[in-house]
Amino acid sequence: MAILVDNNSKVIVQGITGGAGRFHTERMLQYGTKIVAGTSPGKGGEKVFDVPVYDTVEECVKNHQADTSIIFLPARFVMEACVEAIYAGIKFVVVIPEHIPIFDMMQIRKEALKHNALVIGGNTAGIITPGEVNLGIMPDIAFSPGRVGTVSRSGSLTYYVADTLTRTGYGETTCVGLGGDPVLGTTFDEILWLFEKDEKTKAVVLVGEIGGVYEEKAKDTISKMKKPVIAMVGGLYAPQGKRMGHAGAIVEGEMGTAQSKLKALEQGGAHIAKTFLDIPEILKKLGI
Amino acid sequence: MRLYEYEAKKLFSRDGIPVPQAEIVKSPEDARNFAKKSGKPVVLKAQVLSGGRGKAGGIKFALNPEEAKEKAAELFSLKIKGFPVEMILLEEKVDVEKELYVGVTIDRLNYKLVIIVCTEGGMEIEEVARKSPEKVKKINLDIDEKLYQFQAQSLVKWLGVKGEQIRNVGNIISSLFKVFKSYDAKLVEINPLILTRKGEYIACDARMSVDDDALFRHKELSEMGIEKRHEEGEMTQREKKARGWEIPYVDLDGDIGMFPGGAGFGIMGNDFIHYFGGKPANFMDSGGGPTPERLAQMLILLDENPQVKAIFGARFGGISRCDDFAKGVVMFLKEHGLSKPMVLRMTGNMWQEGVRIFQQAEKENPEIFRNIEIHGIETPIEEIAKRAVELAKKM
Repeated sequence: MAILVDNNSKVIVQGITGGAGRFHTERMLQYGTKIVAGTSPGKGGEKVFDVPVYDTVEECVKNHQADTSIIFLPARFVMEACVEAIYAGIKFVVVIPEHIPIFDMMQIRKEALKHNALVIGGNTAGIITPGEVNLGIMPDIAFSPGRVGTVSRSGSLTYYVADTLTRTGYGETTCVGLGGDPVLGTTFDEILWLFEKDEKTKAVVLVGEIGGVYEEKAKDTISKMKKPVIAMVGGLYAPQGKRMGHAGAIVEGEMGTAQSKLKALEQGGAHIAKTFLDIPEILKKLGI
Repeated sequence: MRLYEYEAKKLFSRDGIPVPQAEIVKSPEDARNFAKKSGKPVVLKAQVLSGGRGKAGGIKFALNPEEAKEKAAELFSLKIKGFPVEMILLEEKVDVEKELYVGVTIDRLNYKLVIIVCTEGGMEIEEVARKSPEKVKKINLDIDEKLYQFQAQSLVKWLGVKGEQIRNVGNIISSLFKVFKSYDAKLVEINPLILTRKGEYIACDARMSVDDDALFRHKELSEMGIEKRHEEGEMTQREKKARGWEIPYVDLDGDIGMFPGGAGFGIMGNDFIHYFGGKPANFMDSGGGPTPERLAQMLILLDENPQVKAIFGARFGGISRCDDFAKGVVMFLKEHGLSKPMVLRMTGNMWQEGVRIFQQAEKENPEIFRNIEIHGIETPIEEIAKRAVELAKKM
């Protein structure tokens, strides 16, 4: 079991003929991800690593029953591509590019809700169900199949957490990157619930960072969950008003400080880890 | 990113929002000339990008041209949050009957646009909303919904505006919403919106923040000289240099140079340094798959910074490969050399190859590696952070 993606997922790559699309299509195929098709308007009929290319998402769904998409396109084209996928019936979309305009992301979110689809990103490293499917740009080396789910706004922190879980023998069920942009397709709550319902997942590691209020919002969800949640938040010592690499990582006024996030998460019942090494210690104490 | 007040007012005024007679001045002499021309008492407002301007003494009043010159000179010698005042917005002083607030922002959590009005202007809206929520009223809209005039007017009526002015203030709100939508703003505020003794409404202060990531579709902003900047506060020289190289970089006040991989770990790594008793000199993000040139630029920023005593490096090869990383670092060391000690951890994609490249280079040029400690996956990153703190303390 896993959440959102497994070895039955039929994946398409939007922007498959571009540099990043091509490079990561090869990597994902090597991992065993079932990429059934790709799109690139005007390049229908071509092939990339034996994967057929179409002009539209609609054709991919019709000919290959695709249900999942991953987007490798410049930020300014993401809204169109994402809504095209949703309208064609794709139920899960991974938005890899960063710096998607906020208004575009709000439009995407609205269309996704209306059509019962889920979008993660922008600026996500993707999602991986170790041993089955790697949908994104994450390094295989950090991950191994296991029993802890992770959800994070940052790619690099996902690697460090997974690396720690892998080295200590816990392994991961699924690791989800929500993305580093300020407005995200999906928030912690939705992913936490999926982990709660997943039989194989015994605990969840949530990694947050400064900016926005998605972590604060997760408090209520965590308090309703039966499974333990271990939380880490980056940016306790971050300055005010400066973007820290991720477009969404910025402290504005009192909103979005690491302190307020840690407080909310703790109130919700999460176990707080300060460093990666704390995570296996906490799991051990919880008897997992 | 935030706009200067005068930039925001220019945009507001283009869409029909009344603003005071004003001019931007860069010298005390120009301030005197403006006051003379206007013949009225004036307000002098330092143009800075940080909040708390009033408290820092960045706003002054003058009754006559000579006083305007004096006050301008005072403002030009002032530093607000460490940054010198380079521009002053001079405006004719407005007689205040009443102050209101109107603003538009984004509720990111609920994915809504929010139009906010408040019967009390001139204060921080968050604070008023917390202390006296009954003074604040909001309308939520979806991203693709329109603000109808009757909706704007109902807010205006709620504010207590009467008679003919209902239409005028309604138009101000509609225009403000239009500005918000047309420039991909994150926030637009008129605070305060002033009712003058003559019974007119006028936008006395303006605040506007736009989405950096949507700048590409707003040529009119770049034509006004508005380009990427911090959300708050001016950029330092080193930050400007980094921006020229497209490296996300923020100066901090510690002595450990941070040379990490992605943004997420960049943020967390800074916390780790603090946990172990040190202080980072900067935040930095290499971006995915940095080229050898970019790695060299990152190291140059740290090597040239006199504040930096030791360097903390981390690389988790994901989208990037460790062999490319090692090549980049070696290239920098050979061409430039590093004058400060560095402790580094490298793991992930192609780490074996990365280690081999480092070993080979060290064999050939042991002297350039004298101050460098390289670790792999066997050493937890926490240990690397501790070591960096130690190295900085020794220097």
